[in-house]
Amino acid sequence: MADRASLSVRGLVIAPGASPMTQTIAPGEIVGLAGLDGHGQERFLKVLAGLERPAGGEVTVEAPTGARAITNFRKAVAGGIAYLPRDRRTTGIFPTQSVLDNFAVSTLSRDMRFGLLSFAARRQRYESYRDRLSIIAPRPDAPITTLSGGNQQKVLLARALALEPAILLLNDPTRGVDVATRHVLYDVFRGLAADGMALVILSSEIEEILLLCHRVLVFREQQVAAEITGDAMKSDTVIAAMFGRAA
Amino acid sequence: MSRNWFQSTNARVAGAFAVAVALHVLGTLLIPGYSQPFAIRALLVIASLLAVASIGQTLVVILGGIDLSIPFIIGFANVVAAQLYGDGWNFVFVCAAVVALAILIGALNGLISRGLDIHPLIVTLGTGMIVQGAVLLWTGGFPSGSAPAAVSAFVSIGGSVGPLPVPGLVPCVAVLTLLVALVLARTPYGRRLYALGSNPGAAPLALIDPVRMWTVTYAASAFFAAAAGVLLLGFTGSAYGDVGQPYLFQTIAAVVVGGAALVGGRGSYFGTIAGVLVLTEINTLLIGLGFRPSTVQAALGLVIVLLVSLYGRERHVSATI
Amino acid sequence: MSGLRRMAARWRGAGFAAVLLAILIAVNLLLNPARFHPAAWGALIGLAAPLIGAAVASAPVILAGRGGIDISVGPLMGFVNAMVIQVLFLRLGMSSPLFIVPAALLIGAIVGAANGFLATIVRIQPIVATLGTYLILTGMTLTILPAPIGPAPGWLKAMAGPWSALPLALIFLFWWLVRQTPYYDQLMAVGSDDRAAYTAGVPVTKVRFIAYVMTGILAACAGLMLTALIGSADPNIGPSYTLIAIAAVALGGVSLAGGRGGLAGAAIGAVDIFLLQSVLTAFNVSTYVLQIAYGAILVVAVIMTALQERLSGRKG
Repeated sequence: MADRASLSVRGLVIAPGASPMTQTIAPGEIVGLAGLDGHGQERFLKVLAGLERPAGGEVTVEAPTGARAITNFRKAVAGGIAYLPRDRRTTGIFPTQSVLDNFAVSTLSRDMRFGLLSFAARRQRYESYRDRLSIIAPRPDAPITTLSGGNQQKVLLARALALEPAILLLNDPTRGVDVATRHVLYDVFRGLAADGMALVILSSEIEEILLLCHRVLVFREQQVAAEITGDAMKSDTVIAAMFGRAA
Repeated sequence: MSRNWFQSTNARVAGAFAVAVALHVLGTLLIPGYSQPFAIRALLVIASLLAVASIGQTLVVILGGIDLSIPFIIGFANVVAAQLYGDGWNFVFVCAAVVALAILIGALNGLISRGLDIHPLIVTLGTGMIVQGAVLLWTGGFPSGSAPAAVSAFVSIGGSVGPLPVPGLVPCVAVLTLLVALVLARTPYGRRLYALGSNPGAAPLALIDPVRMWTVTYAASAFFAAAAGVLLLGFTGSAYGDVGQPYLFQTIAAVVVGGAALVGGRGSYFGTIAGVLVLTEINTLLIGLGFRPSTVQAALGLVIVLLVSLYGRERHVSATI
Repeated sequence: MSGLRRMAARWRGAGFAAVLLAILIAVNLLLNPARFHPAAWGALIGLAAPLIGAAVASAPVILAGRGGIDISVGPLMGFVNAMVIQVLFLRLGMSSPLFIVPAALLIGAIVGAANGFLATIVRIQPIVATLGTYLILTGMTLTILPAPIGPAPGWLKAMAGPWSALPLALIFLFWWLVRQTPYYDQLMAVGSDDRAAYTAGVPVTKVRFIAYVMTGILAACAGLMLTALIGSADPNIGPSYTLIAIAAVALGGVSLAGGRGGLAGAAIGAVDIFLLQSVLTAFNVSTYVLQIAYGAILVVAVIMTALQERLSGRKG
């Protein structure tokens, strides 16, 4: 794993007119993003990943080696951020390509030996993630579309982890994933946090956030309506914040 | 089971090679002298020329594009190389100039198509027409000049290299085939090419820069088209602006007969080579049987449709939901 | 200027092509008043008719989306041209329009149905399927008609001048009628998103198949207009219309991705190309410059259209 780093958000405005937010997401922390669809939590996550430009403020990765401003996706990745997209089919998998290809596509340079890609190196890298995420793929050189949705998602997570990020941004990672796989993923996320990774998880399921996260940011009308931690993390508190009511 | 087998890429390539071999056996049975050394040499040289011209089409088709400017670039390289060489230029400089211009045109094709999201069919057709017009204007429609003897010997049907009874072109294309296959399978460029063609929406998140990939790939396509144009100059002996025209549909046909899908993400250069052999065999066979070129053309159309309906079918819309 | 703007607004689909049309008409009127005198319009329409026909014919399959394209339109025009003169008129001695016109349209419908069968039922990629028919039709045309031959029946030759407006008017009447039917909405729905259309119960395959048949019939019309214009049969002219027709369609704001544009846009694109040719001829430039200008206008036009869409998309 790369060095630990924290994600720092200063005066960030994600939509004109919304109030600015300031947050620090520390190594080892799991932060949940909740809110009704379209209230800014997804936009916030994409701004963190450098995929969308904010209306104001800045996002920086603060590592022991120095701070780095995140203004686009490439800078985000170079700064140690990995992003797992929401829609597997349109922005995740490469359907004609094998499981191995799908796993390695973001990190091709790590398999280079004597100027060419080494399939042995690639396979070795894949196998370590396969064991860690318990990916069930009978033949890693078969097209990724032969896998179940949950296993496709695990391959995409392996692709993101292969970047060895310090900060992992997950956009609804358990959408369309079976219950057994969900619990595997939860364990993986907890393990990563325990190793010092900072995780930001957007989820449409409140239970999932309450189960996993140390703190939750509830979005309403393009700004953080509530920040809930500790004993206050209960589903009625979160739902009340989502709908803009006092709990 | 058999359906799955037909759908795997390797099976398509093997199938296309089998068709080529079957056609050759048929030709040998039907036409005396079909497998004579000279006939085979001619077949290999013609196939090699098409193979060079089809490299670029293979790459852009894997990317999910198409390149209609190939025949025009071939004609451009053919005429300009002859003209400049005739004007007394050193042939190395001639090639450098032709290749540099071709790469520039190709890069523009890719840049405009991807950068502005315009269908490459229209962009490459437009640039192709501009290039053809410019060449005609420059030569006044009557190109002159010829290729240096070395180029002619390199592609001559009667030529030989060392112990091999074929001209230098044939082994060079064989090596080139391995190189292209190696680049596609074992370099980051090759893997990104397939990924981008497979799902353009997911590519940027996998750190693939679509505009850059398209620019580079169309530049490569133009480079190989220019190379084919110079080789054709050696083959025919004199410059001819329309020399590339048959290659417009032949390169596309070779790529699809070889099992690539025009929607991107699939295909291989071995497949294209198989397609090239099938097309060359059909052509030679039918002309050898005494059919007129018009009939040969019609038969070619029929064979393309038959082969592609055998293994190049798309999925029904209900299967894509 | 406001008039121009209103005109551009009316043909929003054609966008840049409509503006270009206005400019080209103005330039042509200035450069060559005699050629563009109202009295000469009939002859001009006759000259432009085959290209307009070819562009209009190419449009339905492109509108149907998912890579829909018919590159056999040009060869089909040539095939109809050869069949009408060489087979129907000279060999069978049939000269009545009551026989020739339905026969030509039937040929178009059959070829269109064959393309539709290959592209929608066998599901070969449309460009490959119609490349196959392109080669087959070109070969068959050259087989029945190795060299140009004439003449055409008198009534058909008479369609070359002002009367060429009649088939064009009929085509647009036909398309206007199509637009009144639910089929038109289904076609545009399939073209813009076939999955959504399929989920909504639109018979995607049938809709696309019909688009190919329409393209075939319209291409046969264009073939008749070509026959009227050249007054003979020539095996080499037809195929040259294919790419220029697709260029005209793209110029006319019909998206090659499907679901956007219409036959009017395609026709405007074709008229643009025709007028451009006139301007350049008026300047007495060589056909080589003409070729460069074709390509340049095509590239510039699609770039302008793309930029315009981006700007308007950002505003909206």
